[in-house]
Amino acid sequence: MLSVARRRALAPYAFISPFYLLYALFLIVPIGIGGYLSLTEWAGLGTPLWVGLDNYTRLFGDASFLTAIVNTLLYVLFSVCVVVPAALLIAQALNARGLRGRDFFRLTFFIPVVLSPIIIALLFTLFYDREYGLFNAALRGFFGWGGIDWLGEPSWAKLSVMLLVLWRWTGYLTIFFLAGLKNIPRELYEAAAIDGAGRVHTFFNVTLPMLKPVTAFVAVTVMVGTAQILEEPMLLTKGGPGEATLSVAMFIYREAFTRQQLGYAAAAGVVMFVIVFLIGRTANAVLGVGREK
Amino acid sequence: MSALQTRRAPAGPGAHRTAAPGSKSPATRRPRLVYVLLIALVVMFVLPLLWALSSSFKHRGDIFTYPPQPLPSPFTLENYTRLLDTQPFWGWFATSTIVAVVSTTVSVFVCALAGFAFAKYRFRGKRLLFDVMFSSMAVPFAVIVVPLFVMLVKAGVTNVYFSLIVPWVAPAFGIFMMRQYAEQAVPDSVLEAARIDGASEFGLFTRVVLPLLRPALGALAVWSFLNSYNSFFWPLIVVSDPAQYTLPLGIQSLYAAEGRQVDLVLAGSVLAAVPSLIMFILLRKQLLDGLTAGAVKS
Repeated sequence: MLSVARRRALAPYAFISPFYLLYALFLIVPIGIGGYLSLTEWAGLGTPLWVGLDNYTRLFGDASFLTAIVNTLLYVLFSVCVVVPAALLIAQALNARGLRGRDFFRLTFFIPVVLSPIIIALLFTLFYDREYGLFNAALRGFFGWGGIDWLGEPSWAKLSVMLLVLWRWTGYLTIFFLAGLKNIPRELYEAAAIDGAGRVHTFFNVTLPMLKPVTAFVAVTVMVGTAQILEEPMLLTKGGPGEATLSVAMFIYREAFTRQQLGYAAAAGVVMFVIVFLIGRTANAVLGVGREK
Repeated sequence: MSALQTRRAPAGPGAHRTAAPGSKSPATRRPRLVYVLLIALVVMFVLPLLWALSSSFKHRGDIFTYPPQPLPSPFTLENYTRLLDTQPFWGWFATSTIVAVVSTTVSVFVCALAGFAFAKYRFRGKRLLFDVMFSSMAVPFAVIVVPLFVMLVKAGVTNVYFSLIVPWVAPAFGIFMMRQYAEQAVPDSVLEAARIDGASEFGLFTRVVLPLLRPALGALAVWSFLNSYNSFFWPLIVVSDPAQYTLPLGIQSLYAAEGRQVDLVLAGSVLAAVPSLIMFILLRKQLLDGLTAGAVKS
């Protein structure tokens, strides 16, 4: 029988052990296997063939992979430059004094997060349809012309993916900004008002600095999240036309499960891991996440 | 424009609010521009969903008409009956629900236990262990998918429930969320009192801590449920037998099938969305507050 003090000292280890067990089995081991596979050539049957760094040299000469990286960076850029400001704008609107129905609005904007991405993507596929889609129908209604090939023309296809990202994630980010805005002491605004600061001035000198921790959190979340983008391009365009909307995650999926190049896909995974890690680190350093501790 | 100007007015001299709180001074006048923006956004967020709902009650030929038909005429339930008659919809529904409920239950328990330990105990290596746990959030999903799949195949794991549930029941985010909440919500004095009464450490957790964590448990439960119920990528990889499809896979298969059965896709989407929407609406406050708590505090 263990003493009470001893049990108390061991309890936290017991409490965290289920997590670390699962963590080791389903995260560390796969990462190790992935690292090993990335140095082999393997179609899923038989023994993996050791090829050293071949997969990596091949990756950096692979035009598809480079396209996937560029596309993914474009999606990340779009998220940071459009989705985040849109979410901040909406949060600012929701935080307006005396606003009625705040909870209703907040709830409505969050709905896309609740729904399955497959449902959302299929719906948008229908909206984007060149002949029958709602988007072209609306354009025809308003401007008398609506012949945009939303999913068939490379630039429009990229934009279509981005619009879906905007629709799907803005409401989610909004709730973080709104929570951050609510935490800003009213007195700061009152002081600014007494000093004669205008709305724009107040926004840049009171709101933004006070929101910095939340903004940093949102920006990092968005960058790391969008760097992994898969469902939107996969379901809307299958990465097409050509490879116009292909993302890195889609590339990995394609190499592994449609082309059976598991070693090659694993190497792409390792590269992606490094990229996401660097993006996260850079964003953390620039925005100072966790620095206050 | 005028709304902007009236809002700016109180900044001028003599404009600080001397009126009693709640009275209609210019500063509390309802911002009209804000309503216009918000209502336009509501339309953008809700219209696609209403379109799907309305179209699911239309005959196939009426779904894509120009100009679009706002309400179904004639109204028909045919898409729903045909979906339920010709597809194993309830099978998909059962798989999704079982997987989501089991994952949610297990992960809420695992996360609460670990979150409590990180919040309320001092132990060696705590900081390192926490950092290790926390940084796992940044591991991209696509990176572990291939090796994880290989690992399961090599280990001879063919059970769909195992593959869909077990690898995902310990989300680091959940532990983080629980720790943030437990730090505030569980007073040390209460723990000490229970210990003096002779409670074991685990008894402490089940009888004292869990009830105190209830709001956060609710938030994490909705979050896990939605994650599992809506997941698409991983099931796509591990489930090959159509009889064992989850809802997202089933709906996807209807669309991928020849002739793109849009009518069935819409009916299926509406039915599939019902449980997640109900769950969200019931636990919305806890979910939204719980999600933001960690981000705003840290």
